[in-house]
Amino acid sequence: MVIYRDEYRLYDFGPSHPFSPVRLEMLTSLLHALGVWRQPLEPPEATREEVLTVHSERLVKRVEAASRGERVPDLEYYGLGTGDTPVFPGMDRAARILVGGTLEGARRILAGEKRVLQLGGGLHHAQYDRASGFCVYNDLSVAIRHLTQAGLRVAYLDIDVHHGDGVQWIHYEEKEVLTLSLHETGRYLFPGTGHIHEIGRGEGVGRKLNLPLEPFTEDESYLEVFEALVPWALGAFRPDVLVVQSGADAHYQDPLADLLLTTRAYEAILRLILEYAQAYTGGRVLFTLGGGYSLDATVRVWALLYLVFHGLPLPERLPEGWLKEWQARLEKPLTPTLHDPQAPRAPYPEIPRKEEIARRNLLTLERLMELVRPHLVH
Amino acid sequence: MLVKDVMRSPVLTVEPGMTLEEAYRFLLEKGIRHLPVVAEGKLVGILTDRDLRLAMSHLNPGGPLPGSTPVAAAMTRKVVTAHPLDPVEEAARVMREGKIGCLPVLEDGRLVGMVTGIDLLDALLKLTGVTEPSGRLEVRLPDRVGELARLTGFLAERGVNIHSLLSYPEDGGFVRAVVRVNTLETHLLAEGLRQEGFEVIWPPKKPW
Repeated sequence: MVIYRDEYRLYDFGPSHPFSPVRLEMLTSLLHALGVWRQPLEPPEATREEVLTVHSERLVKRVEAASRGERVPDLEYYGLGTGDTPVFPGMDRAARILVGGTLEGARRILAGEKRVLQLGGGLHHAQYDRASGFCVYNDLSVAIRHLTQAGLRVAYLDIDVHHGDGVQWIHYEEKEVLTLSLHETGRYLFPGTGHIHEIGRGEGVGRKLNLPLEPFTEDESYLEVFEALVPWALGAFRPDVLVVQSGADAHYQDPLADLLLTTRAYEAILRLILEYAQAYTGGRVLFTLGGGYSLDATVRVWALLYLVFHGLPLPERLPEGWLKEWQARLEKPLTPTLHDPQAPRAPYPEIPRKEEIARRNLLTLERLMELVRPHLVH
Repeated sequence: MLVKDVMRSPVLTVEPGMTLEEAYRFLLEKGIRHLPVVAEGKLVGILTDRDLRLAMSHLNPGGPLPGSTPVAAAMTRKVVTAHPLDPVEEAARVMREGKIGCLPVLEDGRLVGMVTGIDLLDALLKLTGVTEPSGRLEVRLPDRVGELARLTGFLAERGVNIHSLLSYPEDGGFVRAVVRVNTLETHLLAEGLRQEGFEVIWPPKKPW
């Protein structure tokens, strides 16, 4: 089941902002052009009360006031009105519409649906008391809380290149939520957190896992640690449902970060996630989108997500008409194939530290597993 | 950041007449490693867990002292101290050069606090601003007037808030600035900085 409504595109920080609604417009038009678009379920927007299940009232009040164009003196203290998360008219409702989509996904899972793909959301930086990093309300946490309040154990998997800090902190002390984030190390990249030592507190100890990866990590190394960590953690935690934040910004073309995944790694990751859901959660999995700031790469990664999700065959080339239209609109060339070009014309130059990077990632994985094993494995 | 901002206070102390055995139990119970020894309100010495263990060990040059020995027999008498208004970096330097693990803090001769290596590590964490959601920029600047202002002015113009800014001298007439900023878009900032002639070390320029 796919969840989407056109009003997701109201979540718009302006034409020069990287978190652009154009991504959704391009994606849906590509799926139409490929002839695979199926009528999605249109979710209701989340209510104020639903947002308040994970956010403070004082944050919500400020978002509401700023959305109405009122001057709020302490806005920046709440992470709003900054260069990254500026204020725009109607911001509160636009954010609640995205939350509504992910929350509806959680409801559908509770109603017996197995696979849900929410074509939006993934606002993983929003925290209890603060908007952050393009994220106003945390749709993922609202959905996760809905699931845990219904008595389910939730595993949250975050493949966005940035650490899923908001989701981690909101559920930091909860034993029924496993968070698992693979990201470029916070030593160099926003939000600066996601160290292996952040393993949870109180009842949540050992259930918050972070695998910070070296800058310039490539497909093989990523898949090596992914396949070692994710099934191990899911097998130990035994969740009822998997919630996935499918950021596309670990792709090598992404302008904001430094991991070097190609679409081939993404295809493998997405297939593995579906396999793991089958093996560990009875097939129950809820996908959301997330970061992804190269239009060219992000749209292809999310099209892959849509196709793999539905078990559809993957086309080699993208539709000519679609390419022509968007190249004209963006005034730049687009990759004409669904996948990135492959050797002999490699998509990026050779990385001299390749071996060292892979070794360090393995070492980080070992240390993480050592740290959480006593808590996670019974 | 001054010593008074990072020191612990009040301080747990013992009297010179306390026995070594009592003092060791006290250390274990309180989970500390350094004990200032105070007589009539005045600091007269300091005793570390290492002093204690050596004093009671067979490796002690004069042979092991019995547990009933008063701490005055094992403590260090010439204590290096700090003042609450000393800058933290000065405390760090004194501790590093003397290879010592703590500084009792005295004001008008009264013991008002203690600084340990751990407190200085906390200070370092705070100085780097890593607790705030932030991206990291590293820029090499010519070591001359106005360069840092040019950098911070550039960030201010783009509405970027600085959580922390560390700078240190580099060989060859340069200063390295490490800046924690409240943005995901450090690559775009770096690109802008390069266009303005700055030498950006991190994030690196990608060749594709």
